[in-house]
Amino acid sequence: MALTSTVAPAGSGPWQRARQQLGRRASVKISLVVIALFAIMAVAAPLLSTLGGWSPEEFDKTAVDPYLGGQPIGPLGGISADHWLGVEPVTGRDLFARVVHGAQVSLLIAFAATAIVVVAGTAAGIAAGYFGGRTDAVLSRLMDLTMSFPSLIFMIAMMSVARDVNRIVLMTAVIGLFGWPGIARVVRGQTLSLKHREYVDAARVGGSGPWRILTRDVLPGVAGPVIAYTTLIIPGMIATEAALSYLGVGVRPPTPSWGQMIAESVAFYDTDPTYFVIPSTCLFLTVLAFTLLGDALRDVLDPRGSRT
Amino acid sequence: MNKRTSTALSTALTATLLLAATGCSGGRQAADAHGKDLATANNGRVVGGTPQKGGTLTILSDQDFTHLDPARNWVVSGMDFGTRLLYRTLVSYQAAPGAAGGELVPDLATDLGTPSEGARTWTFHLKAGVRYEDGTPVTAQDIKYNVERSFSPDLPGGADYAARYLKDAEGYQGPADGKHLDSIRTPDDRTIVFELRRPFAEFPNATVMPTFAPVPKAKDTGPQYDNRPFSSGPYKIETYQRNKKLVLVRNPHWDPRTDAIRKAYPDKLVMVMGLRANQIDDRMVASQGADASTVPWFALRPESAGKVLPRADVRKRLLAESMNCTDMVQMHTGRAPFNEVKVRQAVQYALDKEAVVTASGGPAFNDASTAYMPAALFGGKQPDILRIPTTGDADKARQLLKEAGKPNGFTTTMTVSNGDKGRAEAIQQALAKAGIKVTIETVDPSAFYATIGDTTHRSDMVYTGWCPDYPSGSTFLPFVFDGRYIKDKGNSGNHSLFRDAPTMRRMDEIAAMTDAGKATAAWRRLDGEILAKAPAVPVLVRRWPLVVGTNVAGAYGQTSFGGQLDYASVGLKDPAKSEG
Amino acid sequence: MIYYAGRRLLSVIGVLIAVAAITFVIFYVLPSDPAAAACGKSCSTERLAAIRAHMGLDQPLWRQFTDFVTGIFTGRTMGSGQYTLHCHVPCLGYSYENNQDVWDLMMDRLPVSASLAFGAAVIWLVLGLSAGVVAALRKDTLTDRALMVGSVAAASLPVYFTSMMLIYGVIRIAGLLPYPSYVPFGDDPLHWASNLLLPWLALAILYAAMYARQSRSSMIETMAEPYIRTARAKGLPYRTVVVKHGLRAGMTPILTLFGMDLGGLLAGAVITESLFGLPGIGRLFYGALSSGDQPVILGVTLLAATFIVIANLVVDLLYAVVDPRVRY
Repeated sequence: MALTSTVAPAGSGPWQRARQQLGRRASVKISLVVIALFAIMAVAAPLLSTLGGWSPEEFDKTAVDPYLGGQPIGPLGGISADHWLGVEPVTGRDLFARVVHGAQVSLLIAFAATAIVVVAGTAAGIAAGYFGGRTDAVLSRLMDLTMSFPSLIFMIAMMSVARDVNRIVLMTAVIGLFGWPGIARVVRGQTLSLKHREYVDAARVGGSGPWRILTRDVLPGVAGPVIAYTTLIIPGMIATEAALSYLGVGVRPPTPSWGQMIAESVAFYDTDPTYFVIPSTCLFLTVLAFTLLGDALRDVLDPRGSRT
Repeated sequence: MNKRTSTALSTALTATLLLAATGCSGGRQAADAHGKDLATANNGRVVGGTPQKGGTLTILSDQDFTHLDPARNWVVSGMDFGTRLLYRTLVSYQAAPGAAGGELVPDLATDLGTPSEGARTWTFHLKAGVRYEDGTPVTAQDIKYNVERSFSPDLPGGADYAARYLKDAEGYQGPADGKHLDSIRTPDDRTIVFELRRPFAEFPNATVMPTFAPVPKAKDTGPQYDNRPFSSGPYKIETYQRNKKLVLVRNPHWDPRTDAIRKAYPDKLVMVMGLRANQIDDRMVASQGADASTVPWFALRPESAGKVLPRADVRKRLLAESMNCTDMVQMHTGRAPFNEVKVRQAVQYALDKEAVVTASGGPAFNDASTAYMPAALFGGKQPDILRIPTTGDADKARQLLKEAGKPNGFTTTMTVSNGDKGRAEAIQQALAKAGIKVTIETVDPSAFYATIGDTTHRSDMVYTGWCPDYPSGSTFLPFVFDGRYIKDKGNSGNHSLFRDAPTMRRMDEIAAMTDAGKATAAWRRLDGEILAKAPAVPVLVRRWPLVVGTNVAGAYGQTSFGGQLDYASVGLKDPAKSEG
Repeated sequence: MIYYAGRRLLSVIGVLIAVAAITFVIFYVLPSDPAAAACGKSCSTERLAAIRAHMGLDQPLWRQFTDFVTGIFTGRTMGSGQYTLHCHVPCLGYSYENNQDVWDLMMDRLPVSASLAFGAAVIWLVLGLSAGVVAALRKDTLTDRALMVGSVAAASLPVYFTSMMLIYGVIRIAGLLPYPSYVPFGDDPLHWASNLLLPWLALAILYAAMYARQSRSSMIETMAEPYIRTARAKGLPYRTVVVKHGLRAGMTPILTLFGMDLGGLLAGAVITESLFGLPGIGRLFYGALSSGDQPVILGVTLLAATFIVIANLVVDLLYAVVDPRVRY
């Protein structure tokens, strides 16, 4: 395949071809449907929980049996007409309401952190690749340094240190802080190879300033790999949110997130399997959908694989 | 209750118990009706009969000891383990189930101490023939030495009764550079005399603390003594890998004739640490193979209650004595909005204790609290003076808020330790119904006391508990409600920052009482008087549920050690079945 | 080559010092106070001050840092009065919680984390590479697609879920294995392996998919190269061609991946260790975090960074061995 060599700056041809190729894959369609469903769920969370009749923070003491450590009353974790997905043990909070609101928090954090990573990583990568020299040296050292940090350990520590701050914002920032070098390396490599392409040279000779060259000629060239890479790192972001919440340094109570729900439900995995399975399934489906979509995008947009 | 109804009731109870044993659905209903009785049936009783000598008792734990060094050991469970197995103190608690476990008996000492100068001076004589693990005799100087060590800044964490009561102890920094406390005298090897700052009739209670265990100077390794305390008890440490494994074997020089408390049944105790809490619960419930000769270190998780309570065979092995600590919501009385008594009372009424009890594992493992002092300090049952429904009274709370000029409620913050998150959410939910919007701030246990001890920067409300060190109101009310103990930083106990002149006056009066019975009654009355001023809301008293293995005998929750298993008398039914 | 290795080693040291400094600043300006945590339930102001002085927390920050760094190379003597503690080289401080040298403490836990990481790595390499090679050789068949989607799906399962299901199925229901608790390899290799099998699987499932995907695409690419065709034309057996030529040339990206994964895991799989109750470095770190044991937090962070950096260094040097095209 010689797709990369024929990428025209901002041309519509290859993009159309990519869309056609993607459209042929069943996994892409399914993934997109799953992602769309969860995204709608997240956006419409307040509306959906109103429909369900429960707010995510409302206790329902009648739905749990205090004498059995707060086990939900009724089969399948208390699934009923009243509580569509059953209730949380102990508190009797409505699982449906918590899952949809949890989607909001988890996806918000994942997307926002991804956005930070992509913007910062792309900017750093292009700058390093295009300007070279000292800029490249400094940025590359910074990438090496950031990648040398044991990121999860450091994230846990930073999350547990900070108080009196918005946890969602903090979590997004902390996850973003350690994610950017990966994409920066990809973009840097891509930029280096684009830098001396004829059309870039032509633009330079034609008197275009660096800003114009970067935005008009280089950025579209790196867009393909960046999009593929972005899709592939989203699952990691979602999993990181879950990991931090599992370790007790995630969002504040009573705000639900999938990670926080899984963390709490692990203790009930055998006594109330429904409670354990529901958030796990949501996390699983989302991660799987993004991974499959990302794989497909990479095959199509970045067939040689820019990762080292 | 007359005899007939009582018989009828017990028949009904037997029937439901049978039902519970036969099936799941039946079990659930039975638990609904009598959940409390199901968990507390073994209270005051010994589970498993009298043990046989020998075998290996295994202890499963998800954690390690905070400290085993007697100068630093001030966690109830750790004090049980240390003083029952590794070191002896001047006085200790009787090894018996139920209320008898609160009785003081001499341990190293020949009696409970002789007071003189109006309880300002206390003299103890040591028994003859008490030896360390190397065969050398225990001396009065060694006890003095350990009390002195507890002052060293290198060895923090221990009980501070010595610092609080001993004469001329201010500024003392331990026996470094040969400095010693003159207020502890050792006229001979077997006599020790303590001179106190003020009269302290309950001093023998304080000598139960591991601070009053012997440590020979030659064996003192400073901070590392924590990893290898030198034994004067029935067992000695064979190996101790922090957070992994502790193995105790018999101390051949321990003489049972000098020891009326410790039975020392097993030949060996192995504590496996760092396991996952829920796996421990599962293993204890299943009790298969070597796990039959096993006991858990920490209390059963609330989420495991559903695996235990419906099963009669497991319930037979369940201990659930009260921890005798009261969980409270303490409100910052020093500033708005909680400087207004009506606002604090509104919180008292709004709080749904039933929901918090459920969040804490349900009524089987918790009692809603209607007074500050736990039941043990009221002779077994807390009074209910305010008669607020357990589920709270949101209407009354809203009305009180209106009277306080806050008809629309207000917003506030509550600081809780990570482990109390669930309880805090239940409180948050209940107060919201009365219009009080609470933000929960969770803090790591390590930072918790430092955070709430900073009186200027802390939040309006904190969720904490207080445990009396021994069954007397003097170890509860003054610690929690005496305004003179408030410190700007490192404040502890009085997190309501409650400064009430009549209360403090009354506390001094009671402390000066010589008649113990009158003092007890006076503390109980004072508890109710403070409750009316509402500096804090008593929420619940937890139990310490433990499921022991099927081969375990002599097991009961020691009421003076917060319901922890009494390690003085636990052993095995059939030592041959345990793994060596 | 030697010049290159030397230069890399220097940069490694630079990176580690930077990591140490950043960690130091972040953790030593924390609200959590190890002195207050150690002081206990009832703590007077004077006692708190004395404890703080003995822990060296009353010193200015830069002083504490330089003491720390020199301690690594020269050892330190800590405490005061009659209790002097000698902390031997490499001294990473002294844990207040465990009353032990941070270095000794970490070395005590390292075998657990290392057993976990290496065992899991073997499983995921075997699973991942064989799935990848098979898929590549049967490119675009049903086998290929099933292997790829299957491995991605398995890796998408939350690790909490796989772990609990393994525990439930294998231990609780089938009773095939004991509840995991670490047994040193030297004590009993069989128990060592049987106790670690489930954590290994849980981790391997998470990682294998990446290797399957990577090895598949490398294989497809190299098998299309002219020299492979030449080798086959020369009449070499198919297996030899696949293993000696195909796999070897496709190793470079896999090696990179492997270095990063293993380096990260060695310093403690915090979640896996906590799910299975294994007393490894990750658990040590998490425990230290909730008890405010700053020397341990700092020590583990540094150890973890060291593993990552060294793993990358080794990987870079190995390139030359694996891929003959690489020359420094």
